[in-house]
Amino acid sequence: MSELDTSAPLVVAENLGRNFPTRHGLLGRAHDVWAVRDVSLTIARGETVGIVGESGCGKSTLGRMMMGLDLPTTGSMSFDGRDLSALSNPEMRKLSRRMQMVFQDPFGSLDPRRSIGAQIADGLRTHNIVPGSEVKAEVARLLEQVGLPTSAAQRRPHEFSGGQRQRIAVARALSTRPDFIVADEPVSALDVSIQAQVVNLLEDLRRDLDLAMLFISHDLHVVRHLCTRIVVMYLGRIVEEGPAEKVFGSPAHPYTRALLAATPSLHPGDGSDGDRILKGELPSPANPPSGCPFRTRCPIAEEACARAVPPLDPVGEGWNVRCIKGGPVTPATAQEVHA
Amino acid sequence: MSRSTRKLILPGTIAALIVATVLLAPLLPLQDVRGMDIPNRFAGPSAGHWLGQDDFGRDVLSRLIWGGRASLFIAVGSAIFAAIIGTALGLLGGYFRGAVELVTVRAAEIILCLPPLLLALLVVTILGAGTWPLVLALTILYTPNYTRVVYAATQQVRGLDFVTAQRSMGTHPMKILVRTILPNVLPPLLVQMSLVVASAMVIESGLSFLGLGVVPPTPSWGLMIRSARGAMEVAPLLLVWPSLALAGTILTFNLLCDRLQSALDPRAVTAGGALWLRPRSAAAKKPATPVEADADAPLLEIRDMSIAVRDMELVRRVSLTVRPGETVALVGESGSGKTLTGLAMTGLLPDTLRVTGGTAHYTTREGKAVDLAKLDEEGIRALRGDEVSMVFQDAAAALNPVLRIGEQVAEAIRAHHDLEGDALQTRVVELLRHVGIPDPEQRVRAYPHELSGGQRQRAMIAVAVANNPRLLIADEPTTALDPTIQAQILQLFAQLKRDTPGMGMIFVTHDLAVVAEIADRVTVMYAGEVVEEGPVAEVFERPRHPYTAALIASVPEGGAERLTAIPGSVPSPRQMPSGCRFAPRCAFATERCTANPPKAEHPAPGRVTRCFHWETVT
Repeated sequence: MSELDTSAPLVVAENLGRNFPTRHGLLGRAHDVWAVRDVSLTIARGETVGIVGESGCGKSTLGRMMMGLDLPTTGSMSFDGRDLSALSNPEMRKLSRRMQMVFQDPFGSLDPRRSIGAQIADGLRTHNIVPGSEVKAEVARLLEQVGLPTSAAQRRPHEFSGGQRQRIAVARALSTRPDFIVADEPVSALDVSIQAQVVNLLEDLRRDLDLAMLFISHDLHVVRHLCTRIVVMYLGRIVEEGPAEKVFGSPAHPYTRALLAATPSLHPGDGSDGDRILKGELPSPANPPSGCPFRTRCPIAEEACARAVPPLDPVGEGWNVRCIKGGPVTPATAQEVHA
Repeated sequence: MSRSTRKLILPGTIAALIVATVLLAPLLPLQDVRGMDIPNRFAGPSAGHWLGQDDFGRDVLSRLIWGGRASLFIAVGSAIFAAIIGTALGLLGGYFRGAVELVTVRAAEIILCLPPLLLALLVVTILGAGTWPLVLALTILYTPNYTRVVYAATQQVRGLDFVTAQRSMGTHPMKILVRTILPNVLPPLLVQMSLVVASAMVIESGLSFLGLGVVPPTPSWGLMIRSARGAMEVAPLLLVWPSLALAGTILTFNLLCDRLQSALDPRAVTAGGALWLRPRSAAAKKPATPVEADADAPLLEIRDMSIAVRDMELVRRVSLTVRPGETVALVGESGSGKTLTGLAMTGLLPDTLRVTGGTAHYTTREGKAVDLAKLDEEGIRALRGDEVSMVFQDAAAALNPVLRIGEQVAEAIRAHHDLEGDALQTRVVELLRHVGIPDPEQRVRAYPHELSGGQRQRAMIAVAVANNPRLLIADEPTTALDPTIQAQILQLFAQLKRDTPGMGMIFVTHDLAVVAEIADRVTVMYAGEVVEEGPVAEVFERPRHPYTAALIASVPEGGAERLTAIPGSVPSPRQMPSGCRFAPRCAFATERCTANPPKAEHPAPGRVTRCFHWETVT
C-alpha cells in the first residue's frame, strides 16, 4: 500500500481500448467497433478530472473500465499500483471498496424495493467498515454528510425527489470510504437549482475527503466549474487534455472550440454563432473516418488530416492536443463570459 | 392501510377460507367420503346431504371438500416447487449468461418442446398414478415457464444502475441475485404463479379424468367431474358443483396474485379506475361560438388558466400572451406546470386532467377568436396540427416506429389538406429539405430508427410545421440532444421563425441558457404559478423575483467560486404553502410572504412579478 505517497497518481490508465465486435447475420464476419481507443489518463488524490464529449464518444465506457466494471480490450488499468485485470474476483471485490460510482439517472440507480438505509448499509456490511452494532449510526452520519435528515433511512427511494436521490446515491458511494469516485453525468438529469446543490456537495466532499474524482459530463459549464483538469473525447479518442483554464480559455482543438461555441450561454453573442455551429453528426464508431476522426466535421480540415491519426502532441505544460493544425485560440465568446 | 393493501382483503379472505376448509376437512362434521348409499344414488340436495348424493350415493359436499384437498395440494404444491426451481435457473442463467445460461435456461426450454399432456402422461405411466407422481409431472412441466419469465426479467434488471452499483460496491454475485434482483423480478413471477396454479388445476382434473391422476375412490375435483359426466342427463347438478369449485378457486388465486403484485410494488400508482367511470371531460365543454377578434389581438392570450386533477390544482391562474412572430419561453423546473400549460393549448392533456378555470383566446387565420380552453374535441382537432402544433421532447417516442418518416409527414398534411399523389410527395420532400434533413428524396423512405437523434428531431419538426402552423409549441425539443446537435436544432428554430414571420412560438424548457439564445420574452413558472414575466434581456439583466434571480445564479457560468443553490425542493401539489409558494426556499421571505400570496406587480412596462419584495431583489 502506498497510502503515504500522495504525489504518485492513484489511478493510472494506459492505452486503454475497448472493442465491442458486432456480427451481422449468423455467418457474417465480426466487425470491430472501438468504443474507446488509446486512452491514457492519470488521476491523483484530491484531483477532479472532467471528461467531456457527446454521446457515443466513449466517455461512459471509459468510466466503467476505470471502475473495473468492464475489462479493456487493450492497455491496462491500475489502481494504487495494482493492475485490475490481474486481480481475481474476490480480490477485485475487495479492492472495489476503494472505488465507487455515482450514476446519471437518480431514478434508476437506487433499488426501488429496499429502504435507502438498507442500501447504504450494504457497503458497510460487505466490507465490514464498522461493527454490526454501529451500522445504524454510520448510516445516519452518512445521510447527514450529504445533507439529508437521518429519518430518511427508513423510507424508500420513490419518496424522494431527484436531487435527494442523487444525494442518497452519493451517500451510498461514500459508505465504503472510497479514495476514487467515478461520477457519470451525476447532474444531467437534475433541475438547474438542484444541480447546483449536488455540484456543491461533490465539491465539498472532494475537498474534505481528499477524493480522486472522474467527472463525466456533456455540460461544459459544470465541468469547468468543478474540474481541475479536462479531457475532451471524440469518437473514442482523447482529442484534447489539459488544465481547465487552458482548455476552456484558449482551446487548441477545433472540436473543443466547436463544443464551446455550441453550448448555450446566458449571455449569447451577437448571433454570428451561425458559422461556428458544427455541420453533420458524429460518424458511426463502426465505420470511423480515416485519419483524424474529427476531419469530416472539422471547419479547418485539409487533405493531410485524412492520412493518419494525428498524435497527441503537447502544446503546453500538461496540455496535449490531437490535431496537426491545432493551437491555442481565444474564442470571442469566452472573452465575453469573462468580461 | 394503503389502498393496494386494502384491495388484498377480499381475495385474501376467500383464499384463506378455501384453504382453511380444505385443511380442516378431517375435523369438520362431514359425512364419510366413501360411505355408499346405493338406494339414494343421484338424490338431490337434502338436509342430510346439502349438495345431494352422487352415483354411488356418496355425500357430494364432503367429497367436494376432500377432493379440494387433493386438487389444491397438487396444483399449489407443483406451482411452488416449479417456481423455486424455475426461478433459480432463470436467475442464474439471466445474470451470468454464457455457459451458465446454456445449462439452465436453454436446458429447461427443451421441456417446452414436448407436448405438455404427453409429458405428464409419460411421467405418470413410468411412476404409476397417484398424488406424488402427478406433483412431479406438473413440476417438470411448469419449471420452464418460470425459468423463461424470470430469465427475461433478470436480463432487464441486471443492466440497471442499481445492480451495477451493487457490483461496483464489491457485493458477492450470489448476494446480488438474492437481495437485489430477486425482489425486482417478483411481480412477473407472481403473475406466472397465478397462471400456473390455475393451469395445474385444470391439468390435474384432466389427468384424473383420464384416470391417470388421483386414484379412486380418493376424491378429487377432476374425478368428480369425470364421474358426473357419465350421469349428466340424470343429475346435471353433480357436474355443476366441482366445476364451480374449480372455477371459483382459480379466479380467487388469479385475483390474489394480481392484487399481491400491486401491493408489493412500492411505487404502486393506483390507476384512475375504469375508463368509463372517469369524469367525461368533453361533457363539461360546450362548443364555443367563434367571434370576430380585434384587429390587433395577440395570437394567443391565456388569462388565469388553472388545470387540476380531481381536486388537486397543478397549474394555478396562469396568464401568458404570445403575439404573432414572437417567441415566448416558458421556463421552470420539473413539476412547475410548464408542460401542462403547453399541452392544454393543443387539447392533449392526459385524461384525468382538466382545465378548471380561465380562458385561452386564440386568434385564427380567419381572424376569429376561439377559446382553446373551452373548445370541444372536434373543434380543437380542426386547429391541432393546422394552426396550433406541437414538437415533443423525445422524438424517438413521438414518431411512429413502423411508419416511414415521409408517410408521417404526409399524414399530417392530409389531415388538413386535400393533397394527393405527386403534389403531396413534392411537398413532403420540400418540408424535409426545409428542416435540414440531408438527401430528402431518399430519406422519405427511412424509418425513424434509421435516423440519428438530431435527424429524428428534424423529422418531427417537419411534421409539426407541415401545415404552416401559426402557433408552434415546442416542449423541451433540445433537452435530450448533445450540445453540437442542440445548437443545430436551435439554429433550425431560428431559421423557421425568419422564414415564417407571423408564426408565434411557445418554447418550453428548463435551460435558461437556451432561453437566452432563442426567446424574445420569458415566463418563469414555479410550482404551477407564473412568478415572473418580461423581455428576456431585461429579466436576465435584472430579475425581479427571487426565484428567477436564484435560477440565474445557479447556472455554473462565469467564475463564481461556489454555485448558488436553492435550498430544499419544489413543494408537492398536495402541500402547497398557503402564502407565496416560493417562500419556504426564499432568502427574502418575511412573515408577510407566508401569510398571503403576493399579487402581480408591474415593475416596468411589459414586466410582471409576483413578489412582495420585488424592489429589493437583485
